[in-house]
Amino acid sequence: MKKIKKQVSQIFLFVFVILVGATFTSCSDLFEFELPEANSKPDLTPPAANFKATVTTDYLTYTFSNLSTSATTYLWDFGLDSDGDGEIDMFSTFDAEYTFPGEGIYSVTLTASDKLGVISTFTSTVEVIEPIVPPSIYPEILNGNFDEGTSNWKPSSFTGRNTNAFNASSDGDPLNYDGTPSGSSKTPGAKYTSSTSAGPLLSSSTRFAYQAITVTPNTNYIIEYSYAIKTDKDDINGGDRVIVEILDGWYDDGADAEVSTPLVQTVGDEANGKGNFKVVKKVFSSNATGEIAIWMYAITNDELYVDNVKVYPVN
Amino acid sequence: MKYFKYIAIILIGNVFFSCSDFLEPVPSSSITTDNYYSNADELETGLIGVYAAIKGINSNSKNDNHGVQWEFYVTEMRSDNTSTKSPDSEDASDAGQLESLNVLPTNNFVGNYYTSYFQAIYRANVVLANIGVVEDATAANKIEAEAKFLRAYAYFNLVRLFGDLPLIDRVISPSETEVQFTRVDKSIIYDLIVSDLLTAVNYLDLPYKTRASKVAAQALLAKVYLSLDTPEYAKAQVLCEEIINSNKYALQNNFHDVFYSERSNEIIFVIGYNSNVQDNSQIFSAEFMNAVGNTSGVNYVTTDAVAAIDANGGNRIADSYRPDPLTLFGGTVRYQVAKFFPDGETGGSDGQTFTGLPQLAGNDFIVLRYADVLLMESEAILAGGTETSNTKAIDAYMKVRVRAGFDAATDRPSKLTKEALLLERRVEFAFENHRLFDLIRFGEAPSKLSVFASASGFNFSTTDLLLPIPQNEINLSKGVMKQNAGYN
Repeated sequence: MKKIKKQVSQIFLFVFVILVGATFTSCSDLFEFELPEANSKPDLTPPAANFKATVTTDYLTYTFSNLSTSATTYLWDFGLDSDGDGEIDMFSTFDAEYTFPGEGIYSVTLTASDKLGVISTFTSTVEVIEPIVPPSIYPEILNGNFDEGTSNWKPSSFTGRNTNAFNASSDGDPLNYDGTPSGSSKTPGAKYTSSTSAGPLLSSSTRFAYQAITVTPNTNYIIEYSYAIKTDKDDINGGDRVIVEILDGWYDDGADAEVSTPLVQTVGDEANGKGNFKVVKKVFSSNATGEIAIWMYAITNDELYVDNVKVYPVN
Repeated sequence: MKYFKYIAIILIGNVFFSCSDFLEPVPSSSITTDNYYSNADELETGLIGVYAAIKGINSNSKNDNHGVQWEFYVTEMRSDNTSTKSPDSEDASDAGQLESLNVLPTNNFVGNYYTSYFQAIYRANVVLANIGVVEDATAANKIEAEAKFLRAYAYFNLVRLFGDLPLIDRVISPSETEVQFTRVDKSIIYDLIVSDLLTAVNYLDLPYKTRASKVAAQALLAKVYLSLDTPEYAKAQVLCEEIINSNKYALQNNFHDVFYSERSNEIIFVIGYNSNVQDNSQIFSAEFMNAVGNTSGVNYVTTDAVAAIDANGGNRIADSYRPDPLTLFGGTVRYQVAKFFPDGETGGSDGQTFTGLPQLAGNDFIVLRYADVLLMESEAILAGGTETSNTKAIDAYMKVRVRAGFDAATDRPSKLTKEALLLERRVEFAFENHRLFDLIRFGEAPSKLSVFASASGFNFSTTDLLLPIPQNEINLSKGVMKQNAGYN
């Protein structure tokens, strides 16, 4: 009996030792289930941070469109302290709007993360530049003082008429092209007479001057020239006059130019005598392309002179 | 017997050659796209089919393509102009998603618009694929021009709504899934639109307002040029001025007549409808009323739009919106669109009583009208700036303002600002599905819509400016097609 008891107690001791030993060692490997990650799948859609910056009406302020995918939280880092609170400006909004302190190249970082803590960052630079308004083109009028006769004023072709532009004359404006006195009573100029006149005297020998120029589109310009009419003889067709127009486009054939609708028409019709030049100025708005042309002719049965044709921007 | 060899060869030869015609007769009773188009007249019926796709089916089935009839859902209702009858940020219905800028890729209105307009593109491509049957070169050019105009119109709306898209510039077979589902950069889509419209401008000379005309192509191209990422302002201006200087179009003296004296000389291009014919009428006029269409009332005018029209509408107010008569007896007053009353009937004292059939309305949907061309000229001259003192820009703007009852002298500004032009467009074209596109084109969508959204309890983010690609397309593409940012 005692022997049995001893055997039983020995068995108990043995089992006890094993059990105690087991608590320290065995379970860790044998019974491991990793329950929270059972059947877990890899994250096939990790976050991808991306954004696009767009300038607003204020050149310093940009809107940042968030184009990230598969993310839930966002952090914008502008690396600056524009609001002066002593901390780098960071926002956790989806989109962001930011006003930079001035011109420069700035680095903006968006950090996008998902609920698994996967992080994606995207950095892009923004170049802040104050937009400059390009100055209006100052068109160069070739031979605007008519010193070189009809050069640069002849239509390249003219169906039904001629390309002679005008009569080269020595009886132009006593003022130079830049407005200073020439010291002489006259400079070279352009001249029209009854044989080159338009209006009731229109014929195949009527002359038209043409010069294509390029200006800034949709901008206000001034057309300026000076003219002198010898006498208003017989009041031809309502009076001797010079007509200078700005044409809406360029024309290869003077015949097309002649029938086109001009952007502006100016008329000089005061007969103050030969050598007494009067200045005409008129504002016009250039067209969409900036391709315009000067178009000049006269209605006269006496002598009519034109000089110093200019086109320049307002201001 | 020695000829057996030759007889055998002849017989074997027959096996390869002779039967081909005999066994393939042209079926005389069945018409398919493969055998139908054989001359210009039949091709023209194909063109009418393209218009039919845009016009959409007037029914209450969500499975039918509703074309432009449901366009207001995906454009105007996503802007600050309209909403459902009772705006609610918790409203998860298809219409509610659109007004609260919380659109799901499964949204039916989005999917419907996408398939409708791609159907128009498909039908235009079918016409273009069969252009060879027309022997007369002039006639062929005209048909090609009209089909390309329609393809450009459809693509232009889609690219503005969805961004990058599959480029379908020919009839593709069902096996070409790569072409069908690969989204190409929107600049490539815009290249196709511009080239299609240039063809259209060159060859179109139809006199109709319900079909493509040269002027419609010019006006649409001008708008495309203004909508590019790098806008072509000068080209847009030249196109607008060509239309203006042709003197063929003019503003109606009375704003009311723009909508209720149809196809006047202010109208450049409309999608035409006829009343009382199920197959040829539209439902949107009824949907804008209170429980007259298939819904309880959608595209209701927001108080934000009411305030803008009251302050800047001049004499346009009564023809822009009205208080819903049913809501005048208590509760909150709601506002209805007044530009498209079903066949001109206002619905009596309760706004629901019609002598005709409001669900079969014949009001045209206006795509392009002269006032748009005038304001596009101003926009082109403004050229992305904040203001301009250009006379032509202010003249064009003032023509539209003077028609609305403002004084040509005392109300004339010395400078036209971008803000004023955008506001004028909002008031002039309210509920004509321009507002969202205008906001985006002017670069003012994020600022204006975020303010509007937070005031209405909605949540705006810049990714809301593009719609999600319909989930159906994503699923069918088997992973080829990528969703827009901001949608899952």
